Parts: sequence; C-alpha cells; structure tokens
Amino acid sequence: MEVQSELASGEVRHLQRCINDLISLLGLPAIWRDGDPSQVLHTLLDALIRMLRLDLASVSLTDEVGEAPVEIVRLAEQRTPMPSAHEICEALSECSKSDSRRWPPLLRNLMGEGDVSFVPLPLGLQGELGVIVAAARRTDFPRQTEALLLSVAANQASIALQGARLLSHQKRVASQLDQRVVQQTAELATANEELKLELAERRLLEEKLGQEEGELKRSEARKAAIVDSALDCILTIDHEGCITEFNPAAEHTFGYRRDEVLGMPLANVIIPLSLREKHREGFAHYLATEEARVLGKRIETTAVRADGSEFPVELAISRIKLEGPPAFTGYLRDITERKRAEQELRRSEAFLAEAQHLSRIGSFSWRVATDEIICSEQLYRIFQIDRDAQMTFELIGSRIHPEDLSKFQEHLERSRRDRSDVELEFRLQMPDGAIKYVHVAAHFRRDHGRLEYIGAVQDVTERRAFEEALSKARSELSQVARVTSLGVLTASIAHEVNQPLSGIVTNASTCLRMLGADPPNVDGARETARRTIRDGNRASEVISRLRSLYGKKDPTIESVDLNEAALEVLALSLSELQRNRIIVLQELADGLPRVAGDRVQLQQVVLNLLRNASDAMSTIDDRSRDLLIRTEPDRDDRVRLSVTDVGIGFEPQAADKLFGAFYTTKTEGMGIGLSVSRSIIERHHGRLWATPNKGPGVTFSFSIPCRPQGLTSDDTPATHTPSVSDAA
Amino acid sequence: MDTLPREAHSCVMELCQERRVVERPLVSVVDDDESVRESLPDLLGEFGFAARTFSSAEEFLASDCVDQTRCLILDIAMPGMSGPQLQQELKLSRREIPIVFITASREEAVRPQVLEQGAIECLFKPFSDTALLDAVNSALHSK
Repeated sequence: MEVQSELASGEVRHLQRCINDLISLLGLPAIWRDGDPSQVLHTLLDALIRMLRLDLASVSLTDEVGEAPVEIVRLAEQRTPMPSAHEICEALSECSKSDSRRWPPLLRNLMGEGDVSFVPLPLGLQGELGVIVAAARRTDFPRQTEALLLSVAANQASIALQGARLLSHQKRVASQLDQRVVQQTAELATANEELKLELAERRLLEEKLGQEEGELKRSEARKAAIVDSALDCILTIDHEGCITEFNPAAEHTFGYRRDEVLGMPLANVIIPLSLREKHREGFAHYLATEEARVLGKRIETTAVRADGSEFPVELAISRIKLEGPPAFTGYLRDITERKRAEQELRRSEAFLAEAQHLSRIGSFSWRVATDEIICSEQLYRIFQIDRDAQMTFELIGSRIHPEDLSKFQEHLERSRRDRSDVELEFRLQMPDGAIKYVHVAAHFRRDHGRLEYIGAVQDVTERRAFEEALSKARSELSQVARVTSLGVLTASIAHEVNQPLSGIVTNASTCLRMLGADPPNVDGARETARRTIRDGNRASEVISRLRSLYGKKDPTIESVDLNEAALEVLALSLSELQRNRIIVLQELADGLPRVAGDRVQLQQVVLNLLRNASDAMSTIDDRSRDLLIRTEPDRDDRVRLSVTDVGIGFEPQAADKLFGAFYTTKTEGMGIGLSVSRSIIERHHGRLWATPNKGPGVTFSFSIPCRPQGLTSDDTPATHTPSVSDAA
Repeated sequence: MDTLPREAHSCVMELCQERRVVERPLVSVVDDDESVRESLPDLLGEFGFAARTFSSAEEFLASDCVDQTRCLILDIAMPGMSGPQLQQELKLSRREIPIVFITASREEAVRPQVLEQGAIECLFKPFSDTALLDAVNSALHSK
C-alpha cells in the first residue's frame, strides 16, 4: 500500500509537473506575441530541453520563416559525448528526406553512438514547415506525457511559425506593399510634379493662348470693324479668284450686295471685260510662279460697277498670310474724284502757267532771313535764267539794267528793313542787250513765324510799248483835235482874218480915190496907205498865231505866262463866243508866276475848256451866259487856271460819268477834248478836274507846277493819274 | 476900179453941190473892229457923206446920232449887243434907220435872215468901195 501510494504520489507529481510544463508551453505564445520565429524556436527549444531534460533539441525548417535561421540545434549542457550538430543535421536531413509520416517516432542509434532516442516532431499538419527533433539518452524517453508535451510544443510552434510565417509574409507583403506604395508615391509625386509643371505650362500656354485668342478675337473684331467701316473697298478672294469678303464700302461703290457676290469670280464682278483676260493671266501666273506683278504695289486701273459703268480705281493687293492655298485682299478706292481733282489741278496749273506766260507775270517768294528765293517758271523765263539755276539776288542783279541797279538795291534793303509791301518798276538788260521793263509788287507776310515776301513780277515791256503807242496815238489825236477845232473855228478864223483884210481893202480904195481927186489928196492917201500896211501886218499876225496854234509841232518846254496864253486863246475864240452870246469875264491874277510847259498844248487845253463852257450854256436863256476865266497861284508852287460856266452842269453823282466821258470814243465834242486835255495836263505833271458850282454850272480847273520838271514825253507816260472825282 | 463910172461920179458931184448948203447925210458905223472904224469914215467922206463911228451897239444907242443917222453900217457879231439885236431894238423903238450889215463871217445863212428883217444889204468883209456906195445909196433912197 505504501508503494502504491508512493507510486501514486510520484505519478501525481509527474502529472503535476507535466501540467505545469503544459501550461508553460501553452503560455509560450503570449511571449511570442511579436511572432519573431527565431525567438519562437529558441524559446521553444530551450523550454523543451529544460522540461524534458533533453540532450538535444533541434529544429529544421523547410523554408525560411522571417529572419530565423533554417536550422537550430540546441544541446543540453554537460551531455557528452554527443554527436556534433553537423552530424545531427546530416542525420536529420536524411530523415527529413524521407516521408515524414513514415518517420519512426523513435530513432535509435542514429549516429551509432549509444542509444539516443530521437523524436521528430513534424511542424505543420503534413510537416510542411519543417521538423523539430528532440533527443534524449534516456531510455524512458519519450514517456507518454513527454510525447504529449512534445506534440503540444510542436503544435504550438507550428501555430507560431505559421503565424510568424504569415506575419513575415504579411510583413513582406506589407513591406513590398509599402515599398510599392513608396515607390508609387514617389512616382506619383514625380508624376504630380511633372503634372504640376505641365499644368503650369499648360496654364501659361492657355493664358498665352487665351491672350492670343483674345488678341485674335479683338484683332478679328477690329478687322471686322475696319473692314466694315472702311471707306475703301476691301475685297478678299481665295486661290481660285472667288470673292470671300466684300465690305460695305465695296457694296456701295460697286452696287452689289455682299451676298450676291460672295463666291463669284472676282473677274466677272468688278473687272471690265477688256481687262479680264489680263487679270486671269496675271492671277494664273502668280499661282504658278509666285511671281507677283501687282502684289504690294499701288496701281491705278479701271473697275466696273454693277450698272456697267467704268471708273478709275487705285488698287493694292496683298496676300493673306495663312496656311493653305493663297488668298488675297484687295484694297480698292474709287479715285474718280481724285482723278478729276488731279486733272483740274493739272489744268489749273496749266492755266496758271499759261496765264503767267500770257500775262508775262512770274511769281516768287523770298524768305527774308535766308534769302531763299523760289520762282515760278515764268519768272525764270522773264529773267532768261536757266530753270535749274538757284535764284539769288546776285543772279537777279546780273540781269538788272545798270542804271536801275542802285534803285533796285535801295528797295531791296528797304524791304528787308521795313517789311512793308513793295511796288516798283525797273528795267532788265538781257544778255543779248534787249531791254525789258518789269513791274514788281510784293506783299510781306509771316508764314509760320518765317518772314517772307510773296510777289509777282510782270514783264511790262509790251505794255510800255502799248503805252507808248497809246501816247503817240493821243498825241496824234490831239493833233486831230486841233484840226477839228480848226474846222469848227473856221468862221472865227475868217472873222479874224477878214477884219484886217476889210480894213486893207477899204483903205486901199480910199487911197486910190484920194490920189484920183483933183487936186489929189496926197496926205490923205499917205494916211490910208499907212493904215493899209498896218492892217496887212495885223492880218499876218493873225495867220501866224493860227499857224502856231494849229500847226503840227513837237512839244517843247518853255516858260509860259499863262495869262498871256489864255488871252491869246480868248482873242482867237472871242468871235465864236460872242456869236454864242457868251459874256467872258476875266480874273487874271497879277504877277502870276510863269509855268514850265508847252505853250501851244496848254492853249489847246484852255481852248477846249472855253468851248466846253460855251457848249454847256448854249441852251441857257433865263440868265446871262457868263463865262469866267480865272488864273491864280496854287499851293505847292503851282498855277491854277479855271473856267467857270453857268451852264447845265452835272449832278454831283454824275461826276464819275463825266470822268468816264474823258475816255469816250467819240471823235468830236467834249469827250475827246477832255481826254486830250487831261493827257496834256498830266504830261505837265499837273492835274485836271471838274467841280460842280454852288450855283448853276461847272468849274473845270487845271493846276500845273511852275518849276520845270521836264515834260513827260510821249515815250514816258505819266505815273500819277489824278482823277477828276478826287477834287470834286 | 481906178475910176468911178462917169454917171456915178457926176451924180456924186451933183449931190455934193446940192448939199453944199444943206448938211451932208450922216452915215453911222457900228463895229467893234478898229480897222473898220478907222478906214470907213475916210471912204464915206470921199463919197460925200458925213460919218460917225461907234465901237458897240450900246454906244450908238446912247449917242445923240440915232435920229440924225440916214444910214447905219452895222457889224453883225459884236460883244454885248449884236448887230441883229440892234436892228430889232431900233425896229421896236420905231426908229427905222436903213441898215447895211457888214460881217467878217462867211456864214451865208445870216444874209437872208437880216434882209428879211428889213436890212438894205449885207456885205461880207472885205467888200469893194462900189459895193458899199451902191448899198449906201440904196439906203438913202429907200424911202
């Protein structure tokens, strides 16, 4: 009973130990929580050696699990001799090669040394994980409980290894995954960066595009606005010559609507029939060779409207810079007006040139500061200076008559100084010696702050010649007038001559009678003979006076007593005046200064004035026909002679008409008389005028200088032309 | 004209003798020309007439000779009153003196005018002595 109890108590202890070991083993996974396979195997092998007092424990794995070694051999301490780990491994590897299911649970004398019981414990259900080998020299090994513990440990290890393996795998996968994620992340980041860059670029591009697009849009809008509102016709055509654009101005100009002509060949629409072939050729030529004949140039040609009318146009064609087949823009302007204006301008210029040529007037401008002179063609012609030459005062001076040069320069300097308007006349001497008279009139002005004279130079040579001819004609006319007067005064002349003749005849008759008497009255006869001689002389005086008045004689300047001259005229015309019942009153100033002039011509004027006065009173019957002839000193060392009548006179308003009468073409009467008189007085540097009286009638007066000024001869007409009205 | 016709001469002589006791008939001359006024009286005197001269119509009218004048030798154109005006003046005052007009003018138209107004003759200067004598005689015998 005691043995049994001892046995029983030993068994209990053993079981208790076994349960403790089992609990320890079962507690191992808690330690293995991290699942490091290496730790699992080491702790397991250590636990088995300790629990089962093994001499050797090893593990061999089929695959690497995590970082754990494939094989581990643990030997219990102080257990000698034991096969080396290598030997054990080889033995085990022999075992492992065989089918583990057929493994004997116990391997005896595996290495030929003693009895060592080897218990292989497969890891995993089919031993696919590897194998654990537990070995002990004990003979009782493995006891039942030990086998149980070993299988539990193997299960635990399998589970742990499975877990570790799984974990390792997971870890690996995770790591791989992580790596992949990192890699992908990096790739993504790179891609992202690239994308960002791309985006940025794209944005830039878009912005640019946007801008370009905006600009393009604006440009398009602008172009459309320009095209629509352009005053010029704008047409575009494609490579086939068909119209693709036709702006409102074109519609207006050509009389087509845009939609009518779009797509139509340009040639058929606006090009006149006569030019179409040329257009087609040119167009084809360009398309074939790209040799432009008209591109980029302004050309003038003819276009045709919808109604068939042709008109001049200015045309500029440019090629539209676009990809693809060429297209063209034509800018077209109706230049009818311009052509007309050009033509008018040309005509006007031609007219001006012709007018300048005909009127012999050249124009010029003179910049005072620079002495720059610009002349019209005609001026070069007048001066006979080569047109290419630059006009200078030196050059002009070389053409001026030496006698007039100082006068010209004097005027020039005065103009430079005074900047007043200029008017002067001087002579030119041409290289061939010909003399020209020119009249210069220039107006001073400021042109944009520059001081200049604008003027005209007229070649008055012909006018001079004409004036000379006129003056000669006047002179001859005055001669005619004298003769005319002679005719009119025949009676008066006859009277003047017949008076002394009558005396002569009577005296001679008386003389004869006295001599024939018985006794002859010699004394009486002598007296009558003496009277006969005297009357004969008287008659001779009358004749010579008439001859001096009516004979043609060149004008001569002499010192003339105007009173004496007037009295002579009165004496000659007295009978005619008396016949017209004119009462002549005289108020001749005493001590009147003598005047310088042509006596006969001045008497001619007095005679004219007397006759005019007489004529003006021929119808006056209600008052005495008083004629007053008066002489008096005038201001400025002049002498005035006036003839006052009480005739029909003239209305003050008719003064101009009277003045006009001076130029009458009547060959007799008042007009020619006054005209001739005026020219005579002007030649004496005097003036002749008429004023209505306060009472009835008119007073005609002339005033001439006393000091000799040289008679303005027939070839130098008077420059001062007093009018009748200015004194009226 | 060296000698007067015989009959005329005898007639003149007869007249001279006849009027020896009586006054010779007065012939007045009105002319503004001095030559005429100087030469005519001598010739008229040769003819046996008394003669007075006046330089203007006004002077004649103002003189005391108007009524004694048997014949008036009168110039036509004169300053102031002309010959025909004096003729009218005398006619109006009923002093009908026979008038012989003389004129230096050659205007023929004036002659019939003055003759129509009653003038005896109108002589154009210069005239012959016989023409004057005939005219004066006609004037003296007109009544």
